[in-house]
Amino acid sequence: MIPIKSKPSTMIDSARSDLPGDISFPLEIRLHGRGGQGGVTCAKLIAAIYAQTGLNVQTFGDYGAERSGAPVRAFTRVDREPIKNRNKVYRPNHLLVLDAALLGPQVLDGVAAGAVILLNSAERAEKYAEQFAAYRFGVIDATGIARVHGIGTSAVVIINTTLVGAYAKLLGLPFEVLGEAYTKMGLADDLAAAKEAYQKVSIQRPASALSGAVVGGELPTSLPPIRPLTEHSEDIATSLKTGNWSTQLPGYEDFVAPCNYACPAGNDVVGFIQALKISGADAAAQLLLRTQALPSVCGRVCPAPCMRECNRHLMDGAVNIRSLERWISDHAETRLLAQKTDKVHSLAVVGGGPAGLSAAYQLALQGHKVTIFEKNTKLGGVLRYGIPIYRLPDEVLERDLERILALGILSQCDHPVDKTELERLHREYDAVIISKGFSDAMTLAAAGETLDGIEQGLDFLARSREGELKLSGDLVVIGGGNTAIDCARSALRSGASSVKLVYRRSRAEMPAIAEEIEDAIREGVQLLSLRQPVAFRGVGCVAGIVLAEVELGEADVDGRRRPLVTERTTEINCSRVLLALGQENELGLLPEAWQMRESRAWSAAEALNIWFAGDCSTADGTVAHAIGNGRLTALAALASLDGTDNGTFPLRPGSLVAPAQVRFSYFPILAPHQDRHKVLENYRNSFEEVNLGLSSQEEAERCFSCGRCTQCDTCLVYCPEGVISRSDSGYRIDEEYCKGCGICVAECPRRAIDLNDKGLSDVS
Amino acid sequence: MSVELISANHAAALSAILAARANRTARGFCAGVYPITPSTECMEYLCSQEIEKGNVIRADSEHNAMGICIGASAAGARSFTTTCSNGLAYMVENCVAAAGYRLPIVMSVANRTLGPPWNIWADHGDSLLLRDLGWLQLYSADNQEVFDTVLCAFKLAEDPRVLMPALCCMDGFILSHTMSQVDVPSQEQVDRFLPPVDIPQRLDKTAHTLGQMEAPHASVMHRIQHHQAMLGAEQLYAEIQDSFAEIFGRRPADPLVTYRAEDAETLIVSMGTLGVTAERVVDQLREQGQAVGAVRVRMFRPMPDTGLSKIFAGKQRIAVLDRDVSIGFGGVLWGEVRGFADPATIVQNYMVGVAGGDVRPEHMLNLLVDLQQRRESGAPQIVEVA
Repeated sequence: MIPIKSKPSTMIDSARSDLPGDISFPLEIRLHGRGGQGGVTCAKLIAAIYAQTGLNVQTFGDYGAERSGAPVRAFTRVDREPIKNRNKVYRPNHLLVLDAALLGPQVLDGVAAGAVILLNSAERAEKYAEQFAAYRFGVIDATGIARVHGIGTSAVVIINTTLVGAYAKLLGLPFEVLGEAYTKMGLADDLAAAKEAYQKVSIQRPASALSGAVVGGELPTSLPPIRPLTEHSEDIATSLKTGNWSTQLPGYEDFVAPCNYACPAGNDVVGFIQALKISGADAAAQLLLRTQALPSVCGRVCPAPCMRECNRHLMDGAVNIRSLERWISDHAETRLLAQKTDKVHSLAVVGGGPAGLSAAYQLALQGHKVTIFEKNTKLGGVLRYGIPIYRLPDEVLERDLERILALGILSQCDHPVDKTELERLHREYDAVIISKGFSDAMTLAAAGETLDGIEQGLDFLARSREGELKLSGDLVVIGGGNTAIDCARSALRSGASSVKLVYRRSRAEMPAIAEEIEDAIREGVQLLSLRQPVAFRGVGCVAGIVLAEVELGEADVDGRRRPLVTERTTEINCSRVLLALGQENELGLLPEAWQMRESRAWSAAEALNIWFAGDCSTADGTVAHAIGNGRLTALAALASLDGTDNGTFPLRPGSLVAPAQVRFSYFPILAPHQDRHKVLENYRNSFEEVNLGLSSQEEAERCFSCGRCTQCDTCLVYCPEGVISRSDSGYRIDEEYCKGCGICVAECPRRAIDLNDKGLSDVS
Repeated sequence: MSVELISANHAAALSAILAARANRTARGFCAGVYPITPSTECMEYLCSQEIEKGNVIRADSEHNAMGICIGASAAGARSFTTTCSNGLAYMVENCVAAAGYRLPIVMSVANRTLGPPWNIWADHGDSLLLRDLGWLQLYSADNQEVFDTVLCAFKLAEDPRVLMPALCCMDGFILSHTMSQVDVPSQEQVDRFLPPVDIPQRLDKTAHTLGQMEAPHASVMHRIQHHQAMLGAEQLYAEIQDSFAEIFGRRPADPLVTYRAEDAETLIVSMGTLGVTAERVVDQLREQGQAVGAVRVRMFRPMPDTGLSKIFAGKQRIAVLDRDVSIGFGGVLWGEVRGFADPATIVQNYMVGVAGGDVRPEHMLNLLVDLQQRRESGAPQIVEVA
């Protein structure tokens, strides 16, 4: 072999003076760490430091079991002569232990008295004084230092560069020798951490007259017998409990799907869709009806924020959740029975709209006595008087109402509640829940608003719902919400020659349900967006509207762009105008001495057993919000009466399933199943339901089941160690052999499993 | 010239990249690559580099990686790839073609055990699969040698008197993943050493077929030509060493690396890093007054028969160490070289470090004790090493 003359000899001479005199050559260094800690890079860094002093170096890892967390070794050899030793290091002069939890006979094997040991540990050096009496040893909390310096991630701290700082000090090298090697390896940012370790390492000298523990590296005298490959046998579990290596362990747990989090009614969306998929509509209804008093209604008119948040939205379209809810309500016979309770309360609910019905339903489900007081002739509130029957047919509403009342709820209709009556209810009932909805509708305050032919859309809808209402001529609806769309489509059906919808922002910003806007346009409604009515024209009766053009400015606090009215105007002719501008929230019900705070009535500092639910409290303005708030208010009232917790918890940070945690590639592309629409030749004069919903429940198959295990076996199939097996309730993980590699977590299509820290000390 | 602290895998890649760039004024460079432990780092390094007029193609299999190299070389480009173990086994069908077309493709192999049973550690059984195919084969024992060998392999394979593919072998992990200092020459020096390649049979303006159907006589003549060209490569290698030494200021290792062999009575013969450990054993035994020497077979194809016969002449005992097993026969190296020894010499085969065992001087000392006690050659011995 030809010797390598890789550097000028003068360099070697000058370099040697940098090294302390007590280093003898060949020098052998062994590192013990865990896969992922950077042990091989640590060995290389040490080699680079010696190499820059002109010595020959050799550095390598011990390959084979290099999985994250597994005990691994790395070696560095340094010599003045070309290195001919191609073996692993059996008798190290220097030993670096990157993880004190590894300390054991195998780590100390072959380390003779007088050797140098460096240990990464948060413990004080004194703890190891007896064990390491024969050695010069240093102890440094490299993990702590590296963590403070932000090296690696919060989960996996990389300690190699920090530890080498302590190593330099332990050997008596000047700190400056590290700079060049770190810079060359692109690790210069870690020098500050190395410096801190250099300053903090605690060093103990060997106590004299002690002999070293073990001289290892003897050839084994006998190797174990190996069974033939041709023998019929089962795999024999290795006696090596590889689970001891791991610092993390996967665990199955439920995470919160974005649809569930978005549902204002608090429905378990993933739960009911999966139940529908696996067991059918009745099983799904069992779950849905726990939170949802009005599934037939919500399955038709909910703006479905769940669908906006659905993770599948980012792949091939959101799951059609609203229509699945409708499917369940239209196909399930199930109804829940009232529970028995020891302490029956008697409660009054003021207002029989969605919030009141939801509150009454929840109270009755729990076995309490409820009476609803409703000012109109029938229950339903906005459901009956504000939503046209082609969207919500009477029989659908009646079906939900019948299910609610079947729980034994009493109702007193044509029974308005004023201040005096409220005081009576407060006296006679254990608690009162007020859910009277919005009060007055808003107006424009534009010139000519009092002309004949201009009326509130809600009044129009109520009249329309009551029976035959014939219109003619050109009609304009002002507004962009669901009421505006309902007015426009109802007006068309009532015979108006033309219907225009005037909205001050763009179509994209209309609060109405997008599908409803589409339906309205399909049916012939003309949309005039970015227009603001500034005056009504006419003599006695309205004959036209002056519309100003609108430009959109900066985003408002609610994220929508602020409309800026310009001076450019146009005029349109019309014979009738419907205002759908939203509603005011004015209570006007509480006696003078009472106030409303935190959705509850107070008499001075005393909280009264009167709660507010739905729009009169929250002004959210959707049926789903009213149902959700009605339910939560009922639970809060009961909890207060019983002096217990109401059982609702805030969302745990990080528990929401993000799109990045769904493995889209697992799922085949499948377009959403759309609602069937009855196409009429002419929508005029027909109030029959036009949306026929889904044709089957197949849409349920599209649900990712975010955060909820479906027992799809992906974890079991992908586990490289085969330590996952089926169990009665799902899967079992053999902790004795799980190395915590996290492949099951990475492969889970829906984030139903997560890695948890095992909380071991001294392990980074 | 600069000294870099790099692994042997990176040394091979770096050497190939310098060779690639040296062909930038001609037909450029093209490599088909596919990863396999422990050769992956070499292909990763190739993929990470910008090579003027060069293209490293990530193939969908080893078979196609060699297919790409064949296409590139047939079009006149300099070509290189890397693989090992079962990846090399999968590549073999195209390796046969590469040799048959007489294309000067250079391949780095980080020797690894063939599976099953699956095993990632060093064993020469994979590259020895190509023993009879018409590939040059060179085995290295340290990082510098790996670097130098790749450059020399290009020079040798591309010589118009040779024109055939070359394997550059290194022990998996023991070399491939060990970092140490490597002298890396400048591009300008490599340009001087390795001029642009000219592949005379390349597919160019004249339409013709490579590897067409032949009658027996034509094929046997082509075999003879291939064989003669291979036999001549040993002599040409000496010229290449001279040229290398002149340009780079150091001489690459000989086809046969001897160590205190001249006056030895007992020889240890081996390939790869076993040979370096053997030199340590020789030093130990020489200190005890034993006349022991070592010879490392660096060039396995062509087999340096005359050189080995000279070295073996008059020896009493020869231990041939094989990091391979030819099942049903014994060590491949032993089978090749035993005939070069005198009839009276005791030639004993020990297969040691098979499937990646860490062969230490202690193991070799034990074998030599066994050898010294023998009165005649015995059956090949497979030694268990953990």
